[in-house]
Formats: sequence, C-alpha cells, structure tokens
Amino acid sequence: MDPLLQHLERFSEVLSVSRTPHVSTWDQATVRRALQWARYLRHVYQRFCSHESIRTTLDRQLHSLRKEGGLGAGTVPGLTNFEALAHCDILLSLRLLKNPALGDAACHYLLQQLFPGRGVPDADGETLQDSLASLARRGSAVHMLRFYGYRENPNLQEDSLMKTQAELLLERLQEVGKAEAGDPGKLLCSLWERLPQNNFLKVVAVALLEPQLSPRSQGEALELGSPQILREGSQDLVHWLLGKSEIMGAFCRNVPAGLLTSVASRHPALSHAYLSVLTDWSRHLHYDLQKGVWVGAESQDVPWQELYTRFQSLCQAPPPLKDEVLTALKSYKAQDGDFEVPGVSIWTDLLLALQSSA
Amino acid sequence: MAQESGDLVSDCQFWLQKLSGWDQASTLETQQDTCLHLPRFQEFLRQMYEALKEMDPDTIMERFPTVRQLLAKTCQNPFILAYDESQKIVIWCLCCLINKEPQSTAESRLNSWVQGLLLHILSPFRFDVKEVGLFTQCLGYDPVDYYPGLLKNMVLSLVSELRENHLNGFNTQRRMAPEQVTSLSRICVPLVTLPDFEPLVEALLTYHGHGPQEVLWPQFFEAVSEAFLLKKMSLPASAVISLWLRHLPSLEKATLHLFEKLFSRERNCLRRIECLIKDSLLPQAACHPAVFRIVDEMFRCALLETDGAPEVLAALQVFTRCFLEALEKENKQLKFAFKAYLPYAPPPLATVLLQLPADLPQGCWLQPLQHISQLLREAVEAQAHGSHQGPLESWFLLAHFGGWADMAAEQLLRSEADPPAALLWLLAFYYSPREGGPQRARTMVMSTWAAGGCGWVCGQMLPISGPLRSPRGLYPGVA
Repeated sequence: MDPLLQHLERFSEVLSVSRTPHVSTWDQATVRRALQWARYLRHVYQRFCSHESIRTTLDRQLHSLRKEGGLGAGTVPGLTNFEALAHCDILLSLRLLKNPALGDAACHYLLQQLFPGRGVPDADGETLQDSLASLARRGSAVHMLRFYGYRENPNLQEDSLMKTQAELLLERLQEVGKAEAGDPGKLLCSLWERLPQNNFLKVVAVALLEPQLSPRSQGEALELGSPQILREGSQDLVHWLLGKSEIMGAFCRNVPAGLLTSVASRHPALSHAYLSVLTDWSRHLHYDLQKGVWVGAESQDVPWQELYTRFQSLCQAPPPLKDEVLTALKSYKAQDGDFEVPGVSIWTDLLLALQSSA
Repeated sequence: MAQESGDLVSDCQFWLQKLSGWDQASTLETQQDTCLHLPRFQEFLRQMYEALKEMDPDTIMERFPTVRQLLAKTCQNPFILAYDESQKIVIWCLCCLINKEPQSTAESRLNSWVQGLLLHILSPFRFDVKEVGLFTQCLGYDPVDYYPGLLKNMVLSLVSELRENHLNGFNTQRRMAPEQVTSLSRICVPLVTLPDFEPLVEALLTYHGHGPQEVLWPQFFEAVSEAFLLKKMSLPASAVISLWLRHLPSLEKATLHLFEKLFSRERNCLRRIECLIKDSLLPQAACHPAVFRIVDEMFRCALLETDGAPEVLAALQVFTRCFLEALEKENKQLKFAFKAYLPYAPPPLATVLLQLPADLPQGCWLQPLQHISQLLREAVEAQAHGSHQGPLESWFLLAHFGGWADMAAEQLLRSEADPPAALLWLLAFYYSPREGGPQRARTMVMSTWAAGGCGWVCGQMLPISGPLRSPRGLYPGVA
C-alpha cells in the first residue's frame, strides 16, 4: 500500500506542477515518465474502483495532501480524489498542452504520444487518443445541447446544471466526511464565504433532494451521484444550515417556494426551522389601515405576497407537513385572540387567503 | 500521387467554400446541409490526413495553401466535431502541421496557432454560466471531471421532459414545443452513435406529439437506421420498431440489409438463417400488420426476381415461422385479425394454413391437407380467369408455409393406398405454380408413378419441370 500512496503523492505533485511555468525545464524524457505514471495510475483505478476500503484509504490520503496545500484558494490542485485517477492521464495531457511554458521539443513529443495516428492498438481497450477524442466529442455534444436544445428546467431539482453541481458538492462532502479530522461544516462555511450565495443555496437545496437513481450494481464503479453518496452528504448539509440563523434565513429567502417545500417535506428538522423563520418574518409585518395591506417597517422585511406564496406552497405539500403548517397557523391565530376579522392578526389574514384559494 | 494531390486540392477548395457557407451552423438550412454532408466530409478528412502525414509542414503549405483556413473553419463547427470520428481526424491533420524544430518566429507562431486549435477542440466548450465555473473551481474540480456527468444529466433532463409530454399532455408549462422537439432531433443527427445519447434517441423515437404531422427530422431517422444496421449503436426493440413504423425507408433498408446477409453467401444453414432473421428484429416488428405487409411484399419481389430461388423461399418460410412465434408471444390488447396481415388470402384458407403443423399428430394430416388442397384449387381456378398473376397469389400464400408441402410428400410416401389426387395436386402446384391445368395433370401422373416405383426419402422429387425445392426439416415432426 505504501508504495502506491507514495506514487499518488508524487503524481499529485506532478499534476500541480504541470500548470506552472516550471514545466519549461521538462524535456522529452520527463514528459514520457509523467505520461507513464498517469497510465499506471489509471490502471490502479481500474483495478480498485470496486474495492470500497482501498478507495477510502486512497481518498483519505489525497484529502490530507490537499489539506496541507490549502483548499483551492488560488492554489493549483493536484489529484482531488480517487475518482480523478480514472482520467488522470487526460488531466495531465490537457494541462501540459495548455501550458505555454512547455518547450517546443517536449510539446512535439507530447503530441506524438497523445495522437499517434490510426491503428495503434492498446491492451486496455480505450487508448488515451480515443479518450481525448471522446472528450472532444462530448464537449461538442454539450455545446450543441446548450445552444440549440437547452433551456433551464423550471423545476430546478431536475435542471441539469443544478443537478451536476449538487452531485459534485455531495461527493466532496462525503470525501471530507470520511477523511481523518475531516470537517464538512468547515468546507461549507468556506464555500459560503467565497461563492455567490444565491446559486450556492439553490445547489444546496437541490442536493438535499435525493434524485431518482438506479442502484449500484456489483463491481460497477461508484458513479458520480450514486444514492449512497447522497444520503451521507445531506446530513452534513442539514446540520450546517441549522447551525447559523443567518444562513437559514438566507436559505429560506433565496430558494424558490416550491423547491423549499420539497426540501421541507424530505427533512423534518428543516421544516421546523423553515416554519419558525416564516413565523418570524410574519411577525415583522404590520397592518397599514389606509392601504389595507400588511407591510413591513424596513426594506429588508419580507413582503406579504412572498409570505403568502410560501405558505400556500407548504399547504399544497403532502401530509404530515401540510397538517403541521395548518395546525401551527391556527394556534398562532388562537394566541392572537382568534379574530375572524381581517386586518387585526396576520395569521387570520393568512388563513383566510389560503382558504379562499384552496 | 500528383494526380491524387491535385484532386485533393480541388476538394479542399470545394469544402472550404462549403464551410464558409455553413459558418457556425447558425440557421436551419445550414444545419440541414451540414448534416447531409457529414459522412462525405469525414471521408475527405481521412484522405487529407493520408496525404498530409507523408509530408513535412513546408510541403503541406505549398501544396495545400488553404488547409489552415479549412481546418480553422472546421474547428468552429460543432456539428462536424460531434460526428463520428471527425474530431479525431481533424486533430491528426492539425498535428501534421506542427514543426518539430521551428526555425523562425513565423514557424513558432504557426505551432502556437495549431496548439490553440487543438486546445479549442479538446477543452470542453465552457459553459457561459459564470456561477457554475466558479462553483466547480472552488470545489477543486476540473471540467474533465464533471463533463461526462453533466452530459448525462442534460440527457436525462431532456428525456424526462419528453416522457412528461406523454403523461401531462395538457400541462402547457412543461410541454416541449414541437419546434423544440424537431430541433432536438436535428442535433442528434451527428450524435446518434455516442453512447451517452442513446436514452435521448430512444425517447425521441418513442415520442408522440399531439399533432398529426411527423415532428422528427427525416435525417434523424436515416442516421439512426444506418447506425443501427451497422451496429454502431444499440437500441431496445421497441425503439427500433417505432423507427420503422414512422419512417418507411428505414424499414425497407433494414429488410434489404437482411436480404444481403441471407443471400450473399453460398448456402446458409437453417440455423444461421433463423439467427439472422431473429436478430434483425423484423419478425417482432411484423406483428404490426403494416410492417408485415411491407416485408412480405419485399419477399414476394425477391421471389419473382430470382424466379423462386430456394434460398429466398427458405428465408420466407423461416421468417413466417419466426413471425408466428413472435405473434404468439405478443399478448397485447390489440390483436389484429389475420385478414390484416394477409388481406388477399381467402379467410378459410388463411386460417387453415396458419395452423402450426407440429400441433397435428401424424395420423390426422390427411384431412387438413386435402382441405388446403381443395381451397387452393378453388382459389386458383377462380383467379385463373383473371390476370395471369392469379395463381401466383395463391402460390405465394402457400409458399409461406412450406411445411405443408413437406407433409403432403411424406403422407404420400407413407400411405399404402393409391395417392389421393388432392395431395398430388398440392405438391404439383407447390413445385410448379405456373403450369396450366393439363400440364399439372401430367405432372401428377408422373409423380404417382415415381412414388409407387421407388422408395425415396421424403421430399426428394425427381426433376420433371424445374421444381422449386423446399428445404428440409422446417417443421418439427416432419422427418
């Protein structure tokens, strides 16, 4: 095991270096060695992709390597996880090609290795040349779908961009969770600080909804987005969301009503928190007698319409969520004095509006 | 060599013009035209590569001054890069342009330019959605890591939208507009052989819009048909049958493809014939009367053209048997009457013929055989007064079920009494449908003499008037 771990470490370094100007010192021999290592590690992947324990160990090793280098804050990542080994040769090749610092001779040699031309059979089946061609072909496919056939799916949880991001997030969370002294919460906090919040929160919401997937068959590589990964990661997400009230608040604000209702149905802990956030928002509104509407005192207060939309969505959810929400609303109404007249208690008005639309 | 090069140069010019016209596959017409030319262009690229790899970069620039322009334009066209192996061949051509040891800045710049194009082809086209790029980068992922997953999700999303149209036909928010479905089928044309696209192709083939017109692009059907026949893609049977039902030329091509495989070699053994026919999925598809009629018609044409060649006859009989087996298995709600399959056959005749002879115990053969003979005779005599094609209709019907003729012959051998005229008529008709009445009578007499005179193995008929032999052992139970 140890020699393998050492190889991983060294190759990870090589991968990092391949993006830096340092490659100007590389000659043909260096390039050849690097490509050979990549090829060897690809074989390693194929051998061990269905061995759970070995995968975990190697993942841990890679994670600790990354940790030492800092998490992606401008630093160049090497190998990120075990899964990356499957195409580490492609990663290396593309990085070298993109690097303007690579010398002419080395570059020429690289191209000869990558694209030897027709009819070069390989024992493993798909050659590096074929993998690269396949990558190019798929890239075109994505391009064509994107520009000629794609539109954002109104149902966010089925939107392909959202789903892909969600799957990546859950994969990372799982790795971090399994690593020694891994801290999923810390990862999430750091992402929260560095990423546009709106998109990030939507991705979190989508990640919390378990997508429908076929069960993993024996011996098949752990695919991106398999159910096992997803279940573990979502617990970390729930925990993190509930950790800070400002995060939960932002979550409830930014995620569309329908999506949020689905999330609340799936995760009872979140549904309680959601409800208390909505309650809090509602209490900030007061009745404007002249205009005849409920308004907030400050600009950041959530307007009536949005409150109503969210409650309406919740009331369309399947039980028990629906019943919980209605019970809560009724009890608040009772606490306020159980008025039937509009304009006195926001709970009365909400219930009236909900009932009339039902 | 010089002449080939000359041809290639003019081809270069031709394709350069074409590519300029296609620009970036922006309009419907350019997309359509591009798709039409994809296979030819790939062939051209192959020829270019074969020529370029023998030359050094300087010679290339001399002989093909426009090659850089050509390759650059090719790289801008996603339809071309998405097709089959074109992207690989373009890469090979580009590599030929690289100078191993650049002597001047000009040569260095050329190298960089080539490298730039290579990267353009190889780096997946980046999404112009900033947030996604940022997100993945923060997590430490490279596009190479997640592009396959992204493609899979995009395909899944589209497939679920297409399927939704079935269930929520009236939910207009989710419904895909017909133009979008057409556009999608157009995009699929270069990509049908990409395994990731198979679910989408399948969903499109089984998609039924709400209008009466066909909403899928015709070239899409052609592309799928060709890819399927050449085994470059795999599709479930339901999708293939849907393809054939919606696009007649695909069905015809599939049948011709089968015929080529069946009739090209010397003699295929029965086992192999059966395998080939079953693999073609045609018997299964033929459970739809429309498909059966078309395939049947093609068999008829083949029989007429080859003047009833034994291989064709054998294939027809195996096909019919496989078809009947498939029909048996189809326990669907819609069951078509036999008349739908064989509209010109008199119903009582069809019913009797369709009985599987294996079900009948040997002692009971005589009665149905006589019945068949009688019905056929009536049909023939009725048709004889019409066109001269008349008897052939009845014969073609009988030809589907060669087992009956075998049984008649065996019955003749086994019976010790005088051979019943009905059986003789049946056999004479089967082997020589074109004979007129008196001629057939003579054949029958000769056969009686032959049957009585020597004991030959069942099915072996002395050549009296150019017989058509039915293959042996078609039906179990017949020796």
